[in-house]
Amino acid sequence: MKARMWTRWVVFIVVAVVINFPVIATLVTAFKSPGEVSRNPSLWIEAPTLENFAVVLTISDRLNIYHYLWNSVSAAVIGSVLPVIVAFPVAWVMVRRGVGRGLLFPLVVNLRALPLIIFAIPLYMMYAAIGLLDTRFGLGLILAVVNLPLSLMLLANAVADIPLELEEAARMDGARLPRLLFKVVLPLCRPALITTFIFGFITGWNEFLFGLMMTSRDAVPVTVGASFFFATSGGGVQWGVAAAVMIIAALPPLLLGLIMYRRITGSMVAGAVKG
Amino acid sequence: MTSRKTSENAILLSPMVAFLLAILGFPVVLSLVYGFSETTFQTLTSPSFSGLENFRDVMNDAAFWKAAWFSLKFGVITATLQCVLGLAIAVYLAPLVRQHGWTVAILIIPMIVAPAMMGLMYRLVLHEFAGPIPHYFYSWLGWSPSFLGPANVFSTVVVAETLQWTPFAFLLFLTAYNQIPTEMKEAAAVDGTRPWRRFLKIEFPLMVPTVFVALFIRFIDGFRVFDNIYTLVGAGPGGATTSMSIYIYETFLRRGEIGKAMAAAILLFLAAFLLLTLAQRLVGRRAS
Repeated sequence: MKARMWTRWVVFIVVAVVINFPVIATLVTAFKSPGEVSRNPSLWIEAPTLENFAVVLTISDRLNIYHYLWNSVSAAVIGSVLPVIVAFPVAWVMVRRGVGRGLLFPLVVNLRALPLIIFAIPLYMMYAAIGLLDTRFGLGLILAVVNLPLSLMLLANAVADIPLELEEAARMDGARLPRLLFKVVLPLCRPALITTFIFGFITGWNEFLFGLMMTSRDAVPVTVGASFFFATSGGGVQWGVAAAVMIIAALPPLLLGLIMYRRITGSMVAGAVKG
Repeated sequence: MTSRKTSENAILLSPMVAFLLAILGFPVVLSLVYGFSETTFQTLTSPSFSGLENFRDVMNDAAFWKAAWFSLKFGVITATLQCVLGLAIAVYLAPLVRQHGWTVAILIIPMIVAPAMMGLMYRLVLHEFAGPIPHYFYSWLGWSPSFLGPANVFSTVVVAETLQWTPFAFLLFLTAYNQIPTEMKEAAAVDGTRPWRRFLKIEFPLMVPTVFVALFIRFIDGFRVFDNIYTLVGAGPGGATTSMSIYIYETFLRRGEIGKAMAAAILLFLAAFLLLTLAQRLVGRRAS
């Protein structure tokens, strides 16, 4: 048994390196000086430097990383909080009273499987008409739609897991519906609320298509902003700088994901199996 | 009593219904209007009705069918590869993961990185001067394929997609594998059944439903691919990597053919709707 475990470690390491290779290579490149990048494309760093990060974090008018990061944070927060707010009461009414199971739930859950581009064009036209193009709020609203299906599923699971007796006891004590929902059900759903929020935040942060279409200057999220660093000046791409940008842009979801990996994996599996 | 419940229910449902109507209902109306009219970005507010003309344009566009074929091929191949690899890795590493839970965190990293960012990272990794992969090809083999050239670009995007999303299949299979009662595995082990036979005869049949779920989800995601291909190669050399999503995007924003793009989106929606209904029928039949 011991010997078998040894080969499993080897397989684990090989798989981990292969699937994470782009991330590893980008991380390595981010710590190379411009001179070294052009001379040494290997995974070995001769003289590690923070120069690239310094360049990225020095605000320039044209490419302002802080601006992109702020746009991503605000749109992702709107996009992950809003679905929780609108889905929580629906989750309860659906699980406890069976309302909305026939039409609303399948409608929302199936949204997840549709190609986003279908909505992108009409939403673009609508946003152009009402002035939501290139706004963080507008982008956040769309991210909320993207996150809605999984939010509803996770919250419905959470409500279903609450022992009915707890709710009935509160009813007996004379709690009216708002009190029941906000003082009894909501606190019991807290773990699911946090998972839903984290998951939605990561999804929102990582979204690209809508960021690309709906924003042009003021609300450009970091996934789109990062690609601007690949199109800089006539001298070709500054790979070290581009690598540093990608590391910075990938870091927030990565940290959240690694800290909360148990919750994340759990909700991914739940979302897949129930859908 | 009942009427109070009804109005309570309505209040609880209303925020979400209002939200959906505003952000999706209105656009649906818009797509129907523009799908059946002739519009450019100059005449945005005055679409003129043109019947089925846009649909005819799309159907007669060779690029549309090429994109549909690309997406179909890409979805089927990547979903299959991911499920085979994910299943093998999950079953083989399950004992390791059970003892060291953190190993899962390492294996799901690719999924937490934005696909768009992954595409950009591959641009670096595969770059002929700055990229480590061509570098090692040259120094070890004295030769390197042109990964993003017309001959190899399809394989390259397939590999990139597969490596990023195999962890998803892995996760599903790992969960399914761990849910198989241990007594079943142990009984087979006591019987002296070889591990391979045990897997084929006992464990795999129990995981078949998960295989279908994983294949379906990965196919859908592969079929609608946009982010990673777009940031890595865009439409590709000679449009070689134009997926359905990229085709619609380019028709709309690059060429400004609004009606045509909308018609293509409507066709795509119908196809997706058909597929979903079919899949749910199949699942429903199996369940009953």
